[in-house]
Amino acid sequence: MNNKEIIEIFKGAAARPDEQAEYWKKEQESKVIGFMLTDVPEELIHAAGFLPYAVNAEEGRLEFADAHLQTWACSFTRNCLASAVQGKLSFLDGIVIPQTCDTTRMLMGIWKHTNPLPFMENYRLPRQVDRPSAREYLRGELERLKKSLENFGGSEIKEAELAASISLYNSNRGLMRQLYAMHVENPQLLSGKELFLIIKAAMVMPREKVNSLLKQLLNHLKNKGVSHVKGNKIRLLISGTLLEPLELLDYIAEAGGVIVGDDFKNGSRYLECDVSEDKEPLEALVDRQVNRIPSALFDPKKGLRKTYLVDLARQKRANGVLFLHLKFCEPENYDYYDNMQAMEKYGIPAMRIETAYGGLPQGQLQTRIYAFMEMLGGGDAD
Amino acid sequence: MKDLMADYYKQGAEAKEKGIPVAWVTAVFPVEIIYAAGLFPFYPENFGAVASARKMADKLSSFAEAKGYAHDLCAYARCGLGDAHSKEHPVGEIVKPDLLLCCNTQCGSLSKWFEVAARFYEAPYFLLDAPQIGMEADDLCKKYYTAQLKELIAFLESFTGKKFDYDRLREVMAHANEACRLWNAILETAALKPAPFGFFDACFHMAPIVTWRGMPQAVNYYRTLQEELQNRIQNNVYAIKDERYKLYFDHIPLWPKLRWFSEICASHHALVAVSQYTHSWAYSFDLEHPLESLAENYTEEFVNRVFDYRIQRKMQLMERYNVDGFILFSNRSCKPNAFGLYDKKNIISSITGLPGVVFEADMSDLRFFSEAQVLARLESFFEQLESA
Repeated sequence: MNNKEIIEIFKGAAARPDEQAEYWKKEQESKVIGFMLTDVPEELIHAAGFLPYAVNAEEGRLEFADAHLQTWACSFTRNCLASAVQGKLSFLDGIVIPQTCDTTRMLMGIWKHTNPLPFMENYRLPRQVDRPSAREYLRGELERLKKSLENFGGSEIKEAELAASISLYNSNRGLMRQLYAMHVENPQLLSGKELFLIIKAAMVMPREKVNSLLKQLLNHLKNKGVSHVKGNKIRLLISGTLLEPLELLDYIAEAGGVIVGDDFKNGSRYLECDVSEDKEPLEALVDRQVNRIPSALFDPKKGLRKTYLVDLARQKRANGVLFLHLKFCEPENYDYYDNMQAMEKYGIPAMRIETAYGGLPQGQLQTRIYAFMEMLGGGDAD
Repeated sequence: MKDLMADYYKQGAEAKEKGIPVAWVTAVFPVEIIYAAGLFPFYPENFGAVASARKMADKLSSFAEAKGYAHDLCAYARCGLGDAHSKEHPVGEIVKPDLLLCCNTQCGSLSKWFEVAARFYEAPYFLLDAPQIGMEADDLCKKYYTAQLKELIAFLESFTGKKFDYDRLREVMAHANEACRLWNAILETAALKPAPFGFFDACFHMAPIVTWRGMPQAVNYYRTLQEELQNRIQNNVYAIKDERYKLYFDHIPLWPKLRWFSEICASHHALVAVSQYTHSWAYSFDLEHPLESLAENYTEEFVNRVFDYRIQRKMQLMERYNVDGFILFSNRSCKPNAFGLYDKKNIISSITGLPGVVFEADMSDLRFFSEAQVLARLESFFEQLESA
């Protein structure tokens, strides 16, 4: 397979995630456990012998959720619930919802009454990570989730199995980070949209297969070397909760931008920070969760999010920061003013655009992105 | 009541002058610890409610919106952040915090607002984190919360430079027990038919149980109120004229339209008798095990519970007050209480056979209020109620 063909496989999985999960389910005679993006320890689900499957918002009709959830819930949640209501997720054997905001905290009850699945669990994350109590609690919560998965699967998750899943996921994250670096170096070979589509696809595919495809893809891309980059590449840091729709990345590329970093749950927050393979597995999972890069979810006293973003922008030599905020995402909105102030203080140009899953007024978005890119000194499309 | 709250705000100003640290706290926070530590607790949510009742929420919000806060954030938070960013302070300036203490059982909006405010006022912030509890109380969460109470006490000791006094804590908790007992006895009078007291009265009289729980002032206040209610009962003075129906209401009232709303109900001879909201402060502490008991009381209330538990809680209250119907407020400012209400309404109606209605508005911000739409929904509900 050449690199185009491999990318096509990922694109296909991202476009029809259910098809390949159902194929896997038949082939393996096993179960598919969905999870909402993305603070869920997938390693536990994998070690239990199930396929962890990211429930992502699909192109679909939001109004199916309207009888159950107010229209001022974020479009991501409404979209996921709409998929469930339409029966599009009936192939799932279960779902784990990480409680990362008020909406995800209240979603389970609605979902359970609307479209119950055999296995339904909340993952109750601590909302502070600085004090010792958080670690101890999180350990207990992971044990609870593990036990619940074991009961559902009918067998114990052995330490060696969990260690193997951790190792698999670490290499997956490592390969994805290499791919990310490849995009930054050479966006002609792998566009921003392709990169984030691959991340999206990887969240629903068997990781063993993802890793093997990624290794091949990386080899191809390395052999191609750096191609000639036309035009000024404007180095852009993007920030927010969930990055969608991915078409936004095309507009950025068209305006001469390259994504050099981000902190999205379906981006770098997902890829950064591995799980230690030298520690007892559950302790190592606790470590990862409390050490993940800052987000609106936590209030880390050490390493504030705004400081993190300023440092990241400098380290990645970003020309500007584009905040892509999912409309109705409260936690994200609360952080915005401070983040923006920090950018101003350090002279980093920044702008915010509100996004939503499905039906965006695309022309307007395109215009705003072009205008921002022009301000950053580019604008000459390749 | 007005005197009491005026007094409370005055105390806040005096605390500042005397150098008593002002701690911002949330409504469902174990304030007993703050009083025991000798700090002055200030409730920014109360500031939001007062601003809303004065129909100033959208004005205050505009200052926050100018800084990039969206108008779909919690309106109390927008009032607080609006005041922070305003030079005019249209409802009087909020009492600035020396430290901020938040418990997130109510919602995640409060914890983010306090986090932002802590950065703005450059004051230390402590989050008392409460994971959601399912149908059964859960040891893991109780242990976590208790461990955090210890961390909180250590944090306060280092802030005040004084050793925490557990005897004083027990004393404060005893006052809180008595205030909660009185408050709930007062709420119970709404079950009488006709009743001398209803939900709108409770909204008017709730500030002491929220802000002064743990202090003798709250106990005195509710003793007086209880006597007054006994007098009303003896003299056949009732909350509304010709009470025919009793209603359950969820959750926070429509502050700027409180009178309008209560008059509509009264015109249909319907008394809003009960709400989980005013019943939130029903603690009963075990003074032998103060921290564990605080943990149980504060985390096992409905605000920190799942969908099914909340349905059960609502139905218990509906049964106890023998209501004829229920009104659920889908409050844009309060996602945890609003999300799930559509299904809850259907489930409760199908189990109890009671008519119910969900209406859309915001507890503070009249930009999200359409009188015609809300009225149409309520009128069709009352038709159902009256034909039942």
